[in-house]
Amino acid sequence: MIHVHELTKCFSDFRRGQIVALKGVIFHARPGEIFGLLGPNGAGKTTALRILGTVLRPSGGRVSINGFDVVADSAEVRRQIGFMSANTAVYDRMTGWEMVEYFGRLHGMQRDALAERMEMLFNRLKMNDTRDVLGAKMSTGMKQKVSVARAVVHDPPVLIFDEATSGLDVLVARALLETVAELRSQGKCIVYSTHIMREAEKLCDRIAILHRGSVLAEGTLEEVRRRHGEEDLEELFFQLIMEHDQRSLEEAFCR
Amino acid sequence: MKPAIVKLILAREVRDQLRDRRTLFVIAVLPILLYPLLGISMYQLSQFMHVRPARVLVVGAERLEVSPPLIEEGRFSTLLFASSGSAKMLELHFPSTETAESERWDRARELVLAGEYEAALYFPADFSARLEAFRASLTSRVGPRPAGRASSPEVPQPELFYIETNEKSVLASQALDSVLQRWTDKIGEENLKAAGMSVRAPHPFAVKKIDVGGKTNRLGSRWAGILPVLMLLWAMTGAFYPAVDLCAGEKERGTLETLLSSPAGRGEIVLGKLLTIMIFSIATAVLNLLSVGATGWVVLSGLTGFGLPSPAALAVLAIALLPMAALFSALCLALAALARSTREGQYYLMPLLLLTLPLVILPMSPGVELNLGTSLIPVTGMSLVLRNTLLGDYLSVLQFAPVVAAVTLAVCMLAIRWAVEQFNRESVLFRESERFDLWIWLQRLFSDRRPTPNVAMTVFACMLILLLSFFLATLGGEPDNFAGLVRSVLTPQLAVFLLPTLLLTLLFTTSPRETLLLKLPAWFTVPAAALLAVVMHPLIVLLGALVEYVYPVSESLLPSLKNIQELINRSHFWPLVILIALAPAVCEELACRGFILSGFRHFKGKWRAIIYSALLFAVAHGFLQQSMLAFFNGLVIGYLAVQTGSILPCMVFHAMHNTLALANGRLTPQLFEQWPILNSFAVPGEQAGCLFTWPVVLGCAIIGALLLILFARHPCVCVRPPEEGLENRILCPADSF
Repeated sequence: MIHVHELTKCFSDFRRGQIVALKGVIFHARPGEIFGLLGPNGAGKTTALRILGTVLRPSGGRVSINGFDVVADSAEVRRQIGFMSANTAVYDRMTGWEMVEYFGRLHGMQRDALAERMEMLFNRLKMNDTRDVLGAKMSTGMKQKVSVARAVVHDPPVLIFDEATSGLDVLVARALLETVAELRSQGKCIVYSTHIMREAEKLCDRIAILHRGSVLAEGTLEEVRRRHGEEDLEELFFQLIMEHDQRSLEEAFCR
Repeated sequence: MKPAIVKLILAREVRDQLRDRRTLFVIAVLPILLYPLLGISMYQLSQFMHVRPARVLVVGAERLEVSPPLIEEGRFSTLLFASSGSAKMLELHFPSTETAESERWDRARELVLAGEYEAALYFPADFSARLEAFRASLTSRVGPRPAGRASSPEVPQPELFYIETNEKSVLASQALDSVLQRWTDKIGEENLKAAGMSVRAPHPFAVKKIDVGGKTNRLGSRWAGILPVLMLLWAMTGAFYPAVDLCAGEKERGTLETLLSSPAGRGEIVLGKLLTIMIFSIATAVLNLLSVGATGWVVLSGLTGFGLPSPAALAVLAIALLPMAALFSALCLALAALARSTREGQYYLMPLLLLTLPLVILPMSPGVELNLGTSLIPVTGMSLVLRNTLLGDYLSVLQFAPVVAAVTLAVCMLAIRWAVEQFNRESVLFRESERFDLWIWLQRLFSDRRPTPNVAMTVFACMLILLLSFFLATLGGEPDNFAGLVRSVLTPQLAVFLLPTLLLTLLFTTSPRETLLLKLPAWFTVPAAALLAVVMHPLIVLLGALVEYVYPVSESLLPSLKNIQELINRSHFWPLVILIALAPAVCEELACRGFILSGFRHFKGKWRAIIYSALLFAVAHGFLQQSMLAFFNGLVIGYLAVQTGSILPCMVFHAMHNTLALANGRLTPQLFEQWPILNSFAVPGEQAGCLFTWPVVLGCAIIGALLLILFARHPCVCVRPPEEGLENRILCPADSF
């Protein structure tokens, strides 16, 4: 469903010069599974997801979603995905209902079908209280629900969640994770980025640990644990990152 | 491009803006309230404003026994004022008569300096007596004065003390001047009467003024100065605030990322936003015009004959508003896309205003007329069309409106394209806050050196070249001999072009050879470049004549150009070729096609690099007419540089072009008489130079095109900047606008 092959992305930064945000990243995600993209801040998770969402263009490598290339068929890719960015960005001067409706219409949904789908979504996500509330007056939880509804309103086969629970309280975060799990059960292919290990353990079927633009480990949770001989995911994560940093330091020193 | 998506985005953005109180205030509330409030405030203020009468000290008033009297009952005579109200604005004071005459003059001066009085008027002691003697001398002599007879006695001058740097004092002195002028006129009339002459003798007739312009013209002239300026300024202001909110605001709120990942393409997003901004720009301009029109009509109609402009003028205003709103909207959208936040976006308003304001205000300057030259200037052309429409000069409007429309449309398309480009650039859409640090920047300049200069260094080099050429142009005088000519040509070539280029190349690049294109090209390119310069010469001459026809050289510049041309004609030809053809060919080419072009190739491919380097080449040339030709030449030489990968063909072309221009300048009508065969190729100019016949021009154009095809088919095999390759690879047809 999602094939990421040798994905590379370079940026130019005033202070740091040329930055390689992603170095030959490879992973695949299948329908009916949640693929977790784990990594500390600055690992390149958001960059990778933005490329999947066709917001950024790759500098090298290939990415295809449902058989469509993110560069050559970007318009088709955007029809296949639901993208929820890291911030709970909503339009300040639109109500929850208007926002979800707007994105449904952008996806070409007919008015009747859209209204029916929205009724169902607003009930299922328990967000009827956001119907007539302007974005500027919504709580963080409300905004997050609207963001989820906006991403899934057109019932896309692929969903991309970028640190969806950051800044949420336990109750809202839990409800959101339940929603994501429910979407998996509907056969969606989900890419979920997070730096919270407990979330990944609880939710993801397969994971990739990303650090400084490189994939350090990839596979099911069991495979990764077995390969690196560490049961605790947080410890494993910490260990991999420390090893990578040590290796980079030694390489830099040798140069 | 799906119209349904554009419509959807447009509807959302319009609704969003209508819910924004700030936008509504600027667009609707401000224009409706501003002008009526301003009118009322001015009226109210005028009620409270009390102008204090100026205090004037009159020394020697008690001795004035002149008819007609200057002072009556402690005030200037009311006959000496245009209105009785003005008489009250001068409050007269008289010093004590006990002061000694010798001290009175000094005392009056001191009192004005001390600020006790705004002005003082001093009449000498014998003023009345000598004025009377003067009159008597006139009455005793009627008819022409016999030769050798003594002239009339002199009348001593009254003196007016005031302080030039004190505004009140200046105003008082002006009022006194006017009063004394009227008094002198009255005395003159009395003198004429006393001499038995008609009082109309000094002014036997008065000119009768007749306004032959109709009512439309009178009304139009009053609106012509206000409406176009107001309309354009408000169209820009109305576009700016929504643009900032729709781009920078959306970035700030984080909603742009979500929108970009929706099925809406970049072109559709830009078009939706652009149309929204246009709607608000038009609405702001229209509401402002309506408000100012209504206020002007209601408040001023009774006083100065203000009325509504003609329906035709209003229709032209409405039509002109569309492209102007589109132009300003696209400019604002592109600028707003650059901003990271609404706050940063608002900072961009001032530069935009500073760039646009002169173009809007230029038509208000006296002597600026609608002609081919001015109609080619964006914004100014449209402003002049509007002004002439309001003045009822429909003939000139019909004549130049197509040109203005074409220019406006072209600039509008360019601005829209720029806006779309901004939305396609990741570095613009996801620009993060970066604090500028000079030290880091300098460190990076050295640490990140590449074979060819980066874009930032190239822009710096352009600015340096322009600054140096500006300062040298202001310092340099006009040469009066060959040595002076050598100095005035070589100094800028070395100081502006060659030295900075070599210095920057050595300091900030790792390969001077690649930067300055110091490579040997394919052998045939050198003679081909020389031949291209030869066959392009008739075209350049024709273009030069056309440019001079559209933009004639200013009268102030002509004498200096004539002097230089004469100096050139007096000098020997071959030393001139070295000076004016070879030296610029080496220095300017190393700078423009070497450093600058190589640097700009990192930006957006070879065509942009060619255009930007040609622009610099044009601006660095002295005056407008020369710059236009230099731009055209710059494009051709830039193409040669890119295709051959060597600076040599560029230098050969440049040197040949300048040599031919020098030779052409020496073709006099006398030479054409000596060599009649020349007449079959060219037509001599009035004094020097020639224009080539059409068959020659066409033949040369065909050969020139063939030569360019030859260059196009044989590109050099050389390393191209990575950005050029990347640009071609990631070009996404699905997202193209």
